[in-house]
Amino acid sequence: MSDPKRLHPIAVLLNIIKSIKELVIPFLLVVVIPGKNEGIPGWIQPLVIAIIILLIIGNAFLQWLRFTYRIEEGEFRIESGVFVRKKRYIKFDRIHSIDISEGIIQRVFSLVKLNIETAGGSQADAVLSAIRKSDADRINAYISEEKNAYNPFDRDKDEVADNEIVAKSSSVFKQTLPQLFAMAATSGAVGVFLSGAVAFISQFDEMIPFQRIFKDYEDFIEMGTFILTLFALVALLAVYVLATLSMVIKYASFTVIKTDEEIVISRGLLEKRRLTIPIHKIQGIRIMENLIRKPLGLATVYIEYAGGSMEDKESLSIMLFPLIRKKHLQGKILEILPVYETDTKMKPIPKRALSRYVFRKFLYLIPIIGALVWFFRPWGYLSFLLVPLAIFWAYMQYRDAGWSIEGNLLLLSSRFFSKQTLIMQRSRIQSITYKKSWFQNRKELATITASIKSGITSRVGMVADMEEKDCLIIKSWYLPEKAVDSQ
Amino acid sequence: MDDDDSISITCPEEEKHMEPENRISNKALTVWKISGLISCSITWIISIAVLVLTIIFDWTYWVIGALVLISTIQSYLAIFLIPSVKWKRWRYEVRNTEIDIQSGIFIIKRTLIPMIRVQHVETKQGPLLRKYDLASVEISTAATLHVIPALDLAEADELRHYISRMASVEEEDV
Repeated sequence: MSDPKRLHPIAVLLNIIKSIKELVIPFLLVVVIPGKNEGIPGWIQPLVIAIIILLIIGNAFLQWLRFTYRIEEGEFRIESGVFVRKKRYIKFDRIHSIDISEGIIQRVFSLVKLNIETAGGSQADAVLSAIRKSDADRINAYISEEKNAYNPFDRDKDEVADNEIVAKSSSVFKQTLPQLFAMAATSGAVGVFLSGAVAFISQFDEMIPFQRIFKDYEDFIEMGTFILTLFALVALLAVYVLATLSMVIKYASFTVIKTDEEIVISRGLLEKRRLTIPIHKIQGIRIMENLIRKPLGLATVYIEYAGGSMEDKESLSIMLFPLIRKKHLQGKILEILPVYETDTKMKPIPKRALSRYVFRKFLYLIPIIGALVWFFRPWGYLSFLLVPLAIFWAYMQYRDAGWSIEGNLLLLSSRFFSKQTLIMQRSRIQSITYKKSWFQNRKELATITASIKSGITSRVGMVADMEEKDCLIIKSWYLPEKAVDSQ
Repeated sequence: MDDDDSISITCPEEEKHMEPENRISNKALTVWKISGLISCSITWIISIAVLVLTIIFDWTYWVIGALVLISTIQSYLAIFLIPSVKWKRWRYEVRNTEIDIQSGIFIIKRTLIPMIRVQHVETKQGPLLRKYDLASVEISTAATLHVIPALDLAEADELRHYISRMASVEEEDV
């Protein structure tokens, strides 16, 4: 496996597409805007375009020509670069995970994209954009074999172990198509749709006094507004349907497979993605219940894990279960991540905290209402309708805030719009902070936050206005007096 | 799992009033006052510029009145009140197994970092801190960054050594 290899020639096409994507804006600036100028001979523009296209193609070809990869001395070695030669050597034991994905172009030519992920964040990632599937499998097998074989004499044993893992791995979670539609239809897209619809309907209402002033045009305006509103609603509906469909395509045939040390998540209809997550890198899990799903008893579960890269936004927030019934959640979690307990009874925050939640809403609300009333005199008074809404929102946030300690697990739940429950192992919590303002101190309340590593930054669980003495319980759970760490 | 519950109730009321024992350097107060002064001088320069323009172009005077009022209030807060309250609040303690930090002005914030979570420690010195022979200590975990500002240079160096020695006792995968 040590002789340098090139990517499949189709990588030239991928390079071209990539540089066109990067060049769209400058291209528009250079080509389209001067197009309106006079005084430049007509043939200049096509010439410039032709030169740019030639440069892009030439560059893409040279990049392909110069890009080689090989496996040598326990390292994965990539050499690339047209003008600046880059050599990137990645040691096997630095490799976190190997992901294989297929874009549309790759699928047409039955190729795959291989992504070698390392701990070092974005720059250390190696991407082989187009190689044959058999090659990818061979690299994958070779590297994982090398990684496992610390001792050359143990190799046979490891092979046996490998086979066992393959035999043991089983599909533990599958998202069915109807579930997927439900997931896509109740995702954030709904919120966008509803708020848009409300905005347009309110627009329609405001047109009514407008109509009275221009009596002559009454019919026309009535028709016009009606058609406009109808059109806008249809457009919104179309956007909503498209958003739903694209999400269904993105998460189609969502499957989670568990082996002894890894979780493999694969999904996608047009672009297939497979994500391999080492279980020991998992820092916690996060259960999200949005406004629509919570009343229906549905939730989305994310994995927080230390890894992923900046360039690949999707590797930073990983869905474990796109949509699951809350009552089935515990069973499924037990199959995949048995250390996590999701079915605990959360300890609520005290009643006297409610007034603080309402108070915090009014802190923002009073200036907003004041400004609206001041500047839009007759209609601004409608903003007082925000008051019950804000109180209701504050009440929901108060009701959904809670905490629990379950053996080595800390659970913190809170709500902004969606309810978030973050479940963290003690040994994964990086730091805990609790703070109290003067007002909180008077009521013996405090706000607690706990941070775990997630992707390249952190994920923070928070409960505002919990009992101060509960904070101290959490603190002494986090740092027991005698032991350094009970692991 | 069950014995964990018994641990969790061991820490009763007296803990509540126990603050971390070390304060940061006295000179921090001076440094904060100077940096407050610098930020205020920018506001004052703007105020004076507006004043000059007001006189030249005969603008309404309430704008300059408001600006002077704002500048005065800001000066009082940034140079006198905030540095002294902040200094009084700032406390830290580095124990064998954890780092305990208390900070805040109107909201008191208490942070706990277990020693085994510490990834690395740095000391840092800006021009102002160097002039007063101070340094700040930055403690990084895998996910968070915590800063103890303005310690005496010797103390900061010692703290950095101590933390990095204690932190490296137990290596663990993030």
